[in-house]
Amino acid sequence: MKIRVQAKGGAFEFDSAPGEPLLYAGLRNGLSLPYECGTGTCGTCRARVHHGDVDLLWPDAPGLSYVRREKNETLMCQAAARDGCTLRVPAVVGDEIGTVPPPRHRTGEVTLRQTLTDDVVAFQVAIDTPMTFDAGQFVVLETDALAGRRAYSMVNFGAAADRLDFVVKRKPGGGFSRWLFDTDVVGETLRVFGPLGRATFDPREDKNLLCIAGGSGIAGMMSITARADQEGYFKDHRGHVYFGVRTGEEVFYLDELAALKTRFPDTFEVTVALSDAEPAQDLRDAYPQIEFATGFVHAVASAHMAGRYDDLIAYVAGPPPMVDGALRMLILEARLPGSDIRYDKFG
Amino acid sequence: MSWKRVCAVNEVAENTLKRFEVDGIAIIVANHGDGFRAFPPFCPHMEEPLAESGLLDGGRLTCSKHLWQWDLRTGDVLGAAEKPLLFYQIKQENGDVLAFVEAELTYDYDEEDDFDDDDFFDS
Repeated sequence: MKIRVQAKGGAFEFDSAPGEPLLYAGLRNGLSLPYECGTGTCGTCRARVHHGDVDLLWPDAPGLSYVRREKNETLMCQAAARDGCTLRVPAVVGDEIGTVPPPRHRTGEVTLRQTLTDDVVAFQVAIDTPMTFDAGQFVVLETDALAGRRAYSMVNFGAAADRLDFVVKRKPGGGFSRWLFDTDVVGETLRVFGPLGRATFDPREDKNLLCIAGGSGIAGMMSITARADQEGYFKDHRGHVYFGVRTGEEVFYLDELAALKTRFPDTFEVTVALSDAEPAQDLRDAYPQIEFATGFVHAVASAHMAGRYDDLIAYVAGPPPMVDGALRMLILEARLPGSDIRYDKFG
Repeated sequence: MSWKRVCAVNEVAENTLKRFEVDGIAIIVANHGDGFRAFPPFCPHMEEPLAESGLLDGGRLTCSKHLWQWDLRTGDVLGAAEKPLLFYQIKQENGDVLAFVEAELTYDYDEEDDFDDDDFFDS
């Protein structure tokens, strides 16, 4: 069915499949529609249905608090058209000028699941069509076993990758994490839409790199530091990684981060911030390349980074309160312009 | 309407912003160091309440929802922001901040004006 979009920047037309979120249909047709989370939380893909009818895929999506229903507004990530429709989008829209091909629908199979800590699993999905994506991007996953869609950042990055790596933290009451933790998911089929996300890293940024992550927010940072490393970025740029978890039992990826520090002792540094515990001596002994501190990760980063914000680009990912704290610090203390701050809030 | 007292000058410390009500109209007063600005309590982008989302650093106001930024000293739009803030005219008198409130300033989130209704579609 035909979807028409009127926006600042012009009028556009594309096809959508029945039941397909209008946002996904527009994005895979190469349109630069506004969005952040793609999964009903942030409210950024708000639009007005000017003609036609849409069905809400998740009527309780928290992001719907941003829309005025009396004005026939909706969230494009949660709306599917019943028939052709016309949307008005209050943003500048054009052809997406991305460094990677537009997102598309793919099918994937879980090929590996590995327990990293009591609360964290890594899993790998083999996709039916290779995907090229930027470091820091995410995909939306869907399984027949559960209702709804979840966004996860890739830990890897790549050109024409046929496998996507993810890391997931157990969420109390989280259906998808329960499914991953408590069932034998290897061999299960997933629907994959992506790549998505504009909080990406390109080595041509040519700036020192600051990564502040809470919990599984480290996924995107692993992708970004790996991408940077591939280009020899830390030979002539500083890299600062701040990784926040609650206790020493919850940390993961320390081997990978320590290895990078060993190779670039003068330019790269990793700090693990424990919010609820003192770092144990055996953890310090096991990872002498890594600094350990107690406190919220944005507060630890603020104390360590004071006076070292020169020529910096910052990436932030994690739970919303942590992201908000980090943004506050980057704006008020680091005084970075908005264009040098990129973030993902996992709602 | 006319000049209305919004707050005392010393109620809004430098580099902070605060929400007040004047005859039922919500107004934010921001102290940017070189003076004050008074504006509606919502971000012109997605109606985020600026009393919570707004971060003020010298003259630069940032809405932390999507990092839209404005220079409060000049009133200019900065960086990614696509719309200007609307300001109430203000003055200081006897230690108070007064705003000229003729009508509530609001943003048009529908943006009807941005569209040409005579386009080639079926409107």
